[in-house]
Amino acid sequence: MTRNPIKDAISFVGIGTTGFGRTSDRSSLALALDASTRAIRDAGLAAHDINGVVCIAEPGAPGPETLATALGLTNVTHFSKPTPVVMNAIVDAMNAIYSGSCDTVLVCSSMLRLPWNSRSAAHDPFRRHLGGGAAGIPESINMAPAYTAWASRYIHEYGCGKEPFGRVAVNMRTNAASNPIAAMRAPITLDDYYAARMIREPLCLLDMDIPVDGADAFVLTTTERAKALPHAPVLIHAATVGLGTSDEDQLPSLARHGQHVVVEALRAKSDLWLDDVDVYLPYDGFTIITLGWIENTGWCKPGQAARFLADNWDTDNGRIVIDGRIPVNPHGGSLSEGATRGTGHVREAVVQLRGEAGDRQVPGAKTALVTPGGFFFNAQGAILHTA
Amino acid sequence: MGNTDELHDAELSDAALVERFAYLRVDRDNAPFYRGWLAHELRLNRCADCGHWHHPTRPLCPACWSWNVVATAVSGRGRVHLLMNLHQGPAAPGVDYAAGPYPVVTVELEEQPSLRYTSTIVNCAAADVTLDMAVMLTWIDRHGAPFPVFEPTNG
Repeated sequence: MTRNPIKDAISFVGIGTTGFGRTSDRSSLALALDASTRAIRDAGLAAHDINGVVCIAEPGAPGPETLATALGLTNVTHFSKPTPVVMNAIVDAMNAIYSGSCDTVLVCSSMLRLPWNSRSAAHDPFRRHLGGGAAGIPESINMAPAYTAWASRYIHEYGCGKEPFGRVAVNMRTNAASNPIAAMRAPITLDDYYAARMIREPLCLLDMDIPVDGADAFVLTTTERAKALPHAPVLIHAATVGLGTSDEDQLPSLARHGQHVVVEALRAKSDLWLDDVDVYLPYDGFTIITLGWIENTGWCKPGQAARFLADNWDTDNGRIVIDGRIPVNPHGGSLSEGATRGTGHVREAVVQLRGEAGDRQVPGAKTALVTPGGFFFNAQGAILHTA
Repeated sequence: MGNTDELHDAELSDAALVERFAYLRVDRDNAPFYRGWLAHELRLNRCADCGHWHHPTRPLCPACWSWNVVATAVSGRGRVHLLMNLHQGPAAPGVDYAAGPYPVVTVELEEQPSLRYTSTIVNCAAADVTLDMAVMLTWIDRHGAPFPVFEPTNG
């Protein structure tokens, strides 16, 4: 039995973003304050209305104590600093509001290019405290390299080659062209993908998300309170995180990991599922993660992503459109908007459901499925909708 | 094996062990694992009560919650389960990404399904490494101490 008493009780009422790029010289705190003030104003609220602060623990980012004080918040009754990816923070905010720990929460995530993942960042003296070169020894698949290692197994077991990976990368870049705040907007083709520089073979530069500077912020409150605020609320119908094994090289197989935990929990909690979805936002920190989500969410069977993407490919535009109707990461995802660790996916869901997505708006979008995170310790999911 | 130097290594103090592997993080739970390297043995934790192997090293058996886990040498035989060829990555002695991709293999060991150890592979061109190929443990030197790696199994 899976309970979901919080169903539709909490809503997104404000969003704010700085946009994302690779040349910013603003501090992480400045970015966080910019996104936060935008989000609070967008919600039609002021500093004294915010009594919960949740800051995602990104390297160099301000904690909730610093952010709250810098914003002049003086009546905070809930604050926390969850690890990425995004839904750890959203679920914490939801639970804090639902339990009565606080009424209205600011969630903020501020991203910086880091000296180890960006050459320009390595030359920034103000980022020296964030550390130097790649940590650890080469002979490890812990953290990010795990996705390359498991991509080798996926390709080996399913004999699919690199084409489905390439389609994911091309889709995100095509979509980012319609997103003014995306970091990478120059279109690419499958040929560009095949020619891209290898980083961790079999994955290349275009299989990996783009380190960026920028921040996203969200304001959440009760759906009841949301009715008095300026925007139509975006309701959180179901949300969950899912923990698979956290030892990347000991995972028994791709048939059972965090994504499966998430999908089972989400399906059990939700009255809405794939047939109801108007826009799909799967994580794409690495292309293999997106292939995993597409299969494990049930858009197609395990190992069938190559066929599924070919069948649902909009050849004229170079993008995925499921059943001729459902775009995948219309904002360009982490691969092209920038590596937000899922805040971009959640923000785009809210923007689409509000009908504010401009050239990339999905007509009449009512329901969004968001599946942030990867295979091990950060798989997550949410179904958002408007009334 | 068993020469005077290695007998000496086996008697190293904890402080000297930590110093010997200063480029890694030796802690109370994994010290027996790293002592095994000095004896050219890959000692993974095995539960002395239920027989379950686990890695990385933890002080409690995840299968039966027994504390009676013992760093136990594996045979070193297994098959490549995951493979990546690094074109760039962390610096290490003898690793020259400019000279060609550096292979990293996750090897499924014969002792137990999904019991795996990740290292590199030697005596084999990166382009010749394939998934499911049979490999066995061998040792190289890194920072003046043994480091476990794999090589193709002959025949």
